[in-house]
Order: sequence, then structure tokens, then C-alpha cells
Amino acid sequence: MNAIVLPHRKVEDWKYSDLRGAVDAEAVSIAPTAAWSIVAAKGDADIDDLPAEVPFGEHGAMAPVATSLATAGPSVRVRAGESAEIEFELTEPGHGRALIVVEDRASLTLIEKVPPSGFSNIASEIVIGKNASLTHLRILPGNEAVRVSDYAIAIAEGGTYRAHLADFGGTLSRTELHVALEGEGAEAHIFGVGVMSDRHADVTTHVSHASGKTRSTQLFKCIAAGHARGVYQGKVTVAKGADGSDSRQTAKGILLEDRAEIDLKPELEIFADDVKCAHGAAVGDLDAESLFYLRSRGIPESEARALLMRAFIGDAIDQIKDGKLRQAIWEVVDRTLERLA
Amino acid sequence: MLEIKNLHATVDGKEILKGLTLRVGAGEVHAIMGPNGSGKSTLSYVLAGRAGYDVTGGSITYKGEDLTALSPDQRAAKGVFLAMQYPVEIPGVTTLTFLKTALNAQRRARGEKEIDAVGVLRMVRETAKTLNVPEEMLKRALNVGFSGGEKKRLEILQMALFQPVLAILDETDSGLDIDALKLVAEGVNALRSPERAMVVITHYQRLLTYIVPDRVHVLAKGRIVAEGGKELALKLEAQGYEQIVKDAA
Repeated sequence: MNAIVLPHRKVEDWKYSDLRGAVDAEAVSIAPTAAWSIVAAKGDADIDDLPAEVPFGEHGAMAPVATSLATAGPSVRVRAGESAEIEFELTEPGHGRALIVVEDRASLTLIEKVPPSGFSNIASEIVIGKNASLTHLRILPGNEAVRVSDYAIAIAEGGTYRAHLADFGGTLSRTELHVALEGEGAEAHIFGVGVMSDRHADVTTHVSHASGKTRSTQLFKCIAAGHARGVYQGKVTVAKGADGSDSRQTAKGILLEDRAEIDLKPELEIFADDVKCAHGAAVGDLDAESLFYLRSRGIPESEARALLMRAFIGDAIDQIKDGKLRQAIWEVVDRTLERLA
Repeated sequence: MLEIKNLHATVDGKEILKGLTLRVGAGEVHAIMGPNGSGKSTLSYVLAGRAGYDVTGGSITYKGEDLTALSPDQRAAKGVFLAMQYPVEIPGVTTLTFLKTALNAQRRARGEKEIDAVGVLRMVRETAKTLNVPEEMLKRALNVGFSGGEKKRLEILQMALFQPVLAILDETDSGLDIDALKLVAEGVNALRSPERAMVVITHYQRLLTYIVPDRVHVLAKGRIVAEGGKELALKLEAQGYEQIVKDAA
């Protein structure tokens, strides 16, 4: 078997996430196949092992490694017109593959949890049919794990993908979303928060508007303390002929300490004529004037800081439509903010 | 209640207050008037404890305690309230959440029982009605998109809610039309009490027609240069600051 070459900081896409520095190539080459369990399942879905033939969409550098080394993985199919909610947990780290198919007019809520330690490298294929919808939640607790999750998401006409990512950081934590808006009117809405001290969290996206009247929004909020590093790299391409498309990208960060780092890199490539695209990125400190205002009203410093941080990331979390899931993320965020403030 | 002696203070290393002395007793309303750049806002920020406003000499004693040793939030819990000239907009924090958090933080610091959401809402609603603050405003993010008058009314609403011992009003009249000014003044007058002292900082006499002070002080170049009763404000309005500052020099 050939030695695995891990992506490192001299590779453009991995500049801010040095996988070679975080994990040993030898350890990666002998990592086992990841194990999964289904924590909860509601509604109508077929859950099975991976079929013999699995499509392979656009992915980043680590997905081929997962594909060649993982020997098994789960497959979920929601049949046309059905709806389901499934909560997955990756119980044993390692290489993994997954296939999620949401057929025409079907809907699925997928909640993902990850193991507290070890190396994992998962490549997932997601297929969203005509007028189908997938709501995808990834809640990544703060821990010492090295985790790479790479998704290829293909969305047919009128289909919708909504992603809510909450990452509290790992030794290295990378989520890649490669979204193809293939059919007319397809939509992708991606919301991410990163809150961490002394840890790393990276969200790298590529949203490709292949057809007309497609829409995408991306909103990322990151708070970094200590030696933490938060990364958002978001590329949007609008293909020739994808007229009437609309794309918005916002990424903002707050650095609580000088040693922390936040790298925001929104990119836009437009080949169509008639499109609306907007992107913006900014990194700053907690606003001193706001902090003084709150303290002058009797709110102690740490509580005032937590309140301002909560307000900063709130608009990214409040996009979660399900009240119970939103509350679950807020609880982890509040616990983390209390420590950081 | 408040005794400021020979106060020197710097902002970003530049001396702004240069030997200011002022005494305010319980139940009294004092006006501090002065031209632009005389140090009025610096005085208010120094009293509230804003970072970057450093006391380099003299003393501030509040209810027998060294005020400068306390953090801004400790001062608030002990009853010091500053109605700001430019209230800060804080997106993402609703006005009601802010009021509840602040009220209960002050109560907690004083060892008092916290008030639940329903109780706070009831208190806020009562005060809001008298100040003509619509309920819808309380659900919006703090000060975000509020007009100048709405922001000032919300400052007075906070003052009524927190029931401070020493209230400092920094240019509360700026940016208000006459109706809003009357409303704010009524709100302030309703809070006058024998236990409460107020320091009203203003550039113009206008506000003092509605909030009649017991004493008027003229601040110029970082010091109090003239003092008198409420008639001093009228004299300033008629003659301008220049003459009085010159006479005092």
C-alpha cells in the first residue's frame, strides 16, 4: 500500500488546518473503519449498510482516503413523499463512508454526533431529490479529537438543504461541504457557529450554482479565545447560464485574546450575467463601549461579556427552526461562553 | 452624599479635569453647565467608572466611600446611575432581557432576591406607560433603530426601574424636541425625592426650565468657575459662557 500524504499548511485549501501536524500519517493508514449507531429514528426511512455502488461527488483531499480505507458505513433513504428524523452517533472513530438519499418531495432531519477522541475521517454523499428537503445538524463538542468530515451534496430542482453547524473545537476539526445546486430553484442555507478556547475549528464550503434561480445563504460566527483558531473558507461559483441566482455570504469573528486567530476567506466566482451576490467578512474585539454600557447598569464584567458574545452568535443559532434542537445548541453555547467570559 | 474634591482626571493621557470640587447632598438637584469641551462628559464618565478615564488626583467620596475604588457594576449596584448622552445600540440583546439582567444583577450584588421574568415585565410595563414607551420597543434589540427621543426615554425608564441613589443625567436634552423634552423632564421630576440626589449636565438652559435645580455650577476648562441658584442658568442663557468664564478667571 502506498504511504498516505496528509494535506498540510502549504496546500492552499489546508493552509489554516495543518492535518499533517495534527495526526501521524502512519496512524491514519492503519485507522479502522468507523462504527455508527442510531440513537433515535422517527418517521419512515430505510436504514441499511452501504450498497455496492456509491456515487462519489466533489470532495476535498481526505475523502478519497476514507473511500479507499473504509470497508463499511450506513446508508439512509427516505422514500418519495415520506419524512423522517434520524439521530446518528459515530461511536468509534476511524475512516467512514455514508450515503444519504432524500427522494423527491421527501424530508429528513439528520442530527449527527461525533466521538470525544481519536482520529476520524468521514466522506458522505448526500442526494436531495426534487422539492425534497434535508435539515442537517452537526454538533461537535469541544475535545481533543482530530476529525475531518467531507460531504458532497447534490440538490435537484426545488430541493432545499439547510445545515446548522456548531463546533466547539478539536485538536483539528474540519467540516467540508461541497454543495451542488443542480436543479432550477434549488437552495442551500448554511449556518455555522464556532466557540472555542485553545482549539481548532474549520468550515470549508464550496457552493456551486449550476442552474438558474438557485439560492444560497451562508452565515458564520466564530469566537476564539486562548490559542484557538477558527477558520471559514467559503467559495461560491455561479456557472454560466445560472441566471437569476442569489448568493449571500457573511462571516464574522471575535478574538478574545491576541494569541487566538480567526481566518475568514469568502470567495466568489461568477460566470453568469444576471445574478445577485454579496459577501462580507470581519474580525474584531468585543465592543468596549457596549461592555461599559452594560457594566454601568450593574451587570458584572464576565456576565456582560457573555451577554455580548451570545448576542454576536445568536443570529446564526436562531435560524434553527426546531425549538428543541435550537435549545440544545444554546445550552452547549451558554456553558462554553460562561467559561470563556 | 457625593463629595468631589480637587479632582484631576485624564482621558488618553490628556488632563481634562483640573481640580474640580463639588458637593451634592441627598434630595438635591444640581445642574452642571458649561461650554463644549469643558469636561462635562468626562465628569460623568469618571463618576460611572469608564475605562480610559483615569483619576490622577483628588477624591470622589460617595456615601462615605471612595467611589474610584469600585468597578462600574459595583457603582451601579450601590445606586449610581448615569443616563448617557449617546446610549449604545446592542444588536442581539432585547431591551427587556437587558432590563431584567441589569435589575437582577444589581439586586444580587446587594444581597436582594431576584425578580422573575413576569415580575420584571410588570414593573417595566408600568414605568413604560408613564414615559410613553410602547411595549413593542421592549421586544426590540436594545436601542437598535430607536430614535434619539426613544433612546433618551429608555434611559429614564431605566432610571425609574433601578431607583438609583445618585442619578447623573448627561445631556439628556440633546436631540429632543420640545414634547419629548417635557416627557423626559416629567419622568425625572417624578423621581425627585429626599433620599435621591441628581446631577443634571447640560449645555443649554432649556432643560432647567422643566427640571428646576437647587444649585447651578459652571464648568469651564476642567474646573467649577461659578456657582449660584437657578437664576445663574438664566444669566448664562442671556450672556453666554464667555463673559462668565472670563469674569471667573
